[in-house]
Amino acid sequence: MIWRAVIAFFLLFLLGPIALVVLFSFGSNALIGFPMGALTLDWYAGLLRDTGFYSAFWTSVVVALATAVFATITGTLAAMGLLRLAPSVARAVLATLSMPVLLPPLVVAIAIVVLFVRGIGLGLGVPVVILGHILITQPFVILIVMARLARFDQSAVEAARDLGASRWQAFRLVTLPQIASTLVGAALVCAAISLDDFIIASFTIGGGNTLSTFVWGKMRTTLDPSINAIATALLVVTVGLSGLALRLSRYRS
Amino acid sequence: MKRAGIMFLAPATLVFTAVFALPVALLFAVSFWSVKSFRLQPDFTFTAWQRFITQYWELTLYTLFVGLMAGIICTLLGFVFAYAARFKAGAHGDTLMLATLITLFGGYLVKIYAWKSILGADGLLNQTLMASGLVTEPLTFLIYSRGAVIVALVHFLLPFAILPIYAALRNVPDSTVEAASDLGANAFNTLTLVIIPQVRQGLFSAFAICFLLAAGDYVTPMLLGGTSGVMLGQFVLLEFSTNFNWPAGSALSFGLLFACMLLLAVLGLAGQMIARRKR
Repeated sequence: MIWRAVIAFFLLFLLGPIALVVLFSFGSNALIGFPMGALTLDWYAGLLRDTGFYSAFWTSVVVALATAVFATITGTLAAMGLLRLAPSVARAVLATLSMPVLLPPLVVAIAIVVLFVRGIGLGLGVPVVILGHILITQPFVILIVMARLARFDQSAVEAARDLGASRWQAFRLVTLPQIASTLVGAALVCAAISLDDFIIASFTIGGGNTLSTFVWGKMRTTLDPSINAIATALLVVTVGLSGLALRLSRYRS
Repeated sequence: MKRAGIMFLAPATLVFTAVFALPVALLFAVSFWSVKSFRLQPDFTFTAWQRFITQYWELTLYTLFVGLMAGIICTLLGFVFAYAARFKAGAHGDTLMLATLITLFGGYLVKIYAWKSILGADGLLNQTLMASGLVTEPLTFLIYSRGAVIVALVHFLLPFAILPIYAALRNVPDSTVEAASDLGANAFNTLTLVIIPQVRQGLFSAFAICFLLAAGDYVTPMLLGGTSGVMLGQFVLLEFSTNFNWPAGSALSFGLLFACMLLLAVLGLAGQMIARRKR
C-alpha cells in the first residue's frame, strides 16, 4: 500500500509538470492556472498561421530525418565492427565513441563552432547541426544494434555463405530482414533525440530556427501561451517516436 | 575478420574525429590563445586560465555544489523508484521503466518551462497557495533561486538515474534476497548488506551522469536561477557570445570539466575504500 503511494508520487513528479503543459495548451487562458478557461484549439490554430513556426518545423524535419538515416548507418556499421573485435577492445572503442553523450552538450557545441568557424572556416548552418546530431545519436544506435546482434543466430548467415551467397548478399537477404525493426527503432530514437536537442542546435545553426530554438525564442521573450501548444506538439512527436521505437526494437514479442 | 571490423568502424570514427575529437582538441588549444581588439590570435598564454582560477573559482565550487546536490538527490530518489519497480510492483516493473524511458528523450525545454509556470510569481503553486488562503502575497522566492534550479534539474535528470539503477537491480537475483530474509535479516539489513553492495556500480554511474549533466547545464539556471542561482555554464555562454572572448570561454569549459572529473575520481576512490573496509 505504501509502495503503491510511493510509485504514484514518483509518476506524478515525473509526468505531472509535462501533463500541465499539455492540459493548458487546450485552455483559453493565457496563464497556466486554474480555472483554465474554455476548451480551445486557438493556440494550435495560431501556430499554423505562424510562418516562423513553419520554417522551424521544416528545418527540424530535415535535421531529424537526416540524423536518423545517417546515424543509423554509421551506428549499425560500427556495431557490426565492434562485434568482430576482441571484447576488451570493443568496450574501449564503445566508451570512446560514447564520450560526446557524457560531456556537457554546451562544451560539444562550442567545440564544433570553434572548429567550423575558426578551424576550417566553413561556417555554420543546418549541415553542421546534422553532423552534431549524428555525433550524439550514433552511440545509442550502436548500443541498440549491438544488443540485437548479440542474440542473433549466426548459423543462418553461415548457411547462406555456405550456399554461395556473398557477404553482402548474406547481409542483405538474411541479417537485414531480421534486424530491420531494430534499425527502424534505433532511427526513431535518433529522430527523437535530434528533435529534443536544443543546445547543439542553437549554437551550430547559425541563422534560422529548429523547433527547439523556436520554442526557446518564445520562452525568452514574453509569456506567450502558444508555447504550451508548440511544446505539446514537440512532446507528442518525441515521446511518440521513442514509444514507437521501444515497441519496435526491444519489447517485440 | 579484424580488418573488416575496422572498416565497419570507419564511418562512425570519422564522425567522432571530425565533429568531436578535433573540435575538442582545438577548443582546448584556444584556451591558450589571446584576444587583441576582438580578434582571436594563436598564442601561448595562460591569461584565460588565470582568469578562470582567480575570478571564477567561487562560481566553479558553487556549480559543483549544484551538480552534487542534483546528483545525490537523483541517485537517492532514483534508487527508491527503481527499488519499488523491481521488488514491489510485481509484473508492472518493466511498464514503469517504459514510462520513464519515454520521458528521457522528450521535452528538455518543455520540462524547464513547466517549472517556470509552476514556480513563478503568478504560477500554479502561488495561485493554489493564495486561493487556499495560506498566503496573502505570492511567494517570490520560489522561482529564480538555487532551489528552483535544483528541483528542475532533478526532474529532468531523474530518468537518467532510474534506468541504470533499475538495470542493476534487475541483475540482483531474487534468491539472494530470499536467502537473506530466510536467514533472519530484516528489511533494512537486506537492503544495506545484500542489495546495495550488488548495485554499487549502477548507483555510481547514475550519480556520475546526473552530476555531469547538472553541473554542465546552463539553460535551467538561465530560466529559473535568476541572480542567486547562476552557474558557470552561463558564463561560458557569455564569454563566447557576448564578450567574444573564446579563450576565456574555453578555459571556463575545460576548467569545469576537469573539476568535475577530479570530483568524480575522488568520490569513486573514496567509495571503493569504504567498500573495501567494510569487507
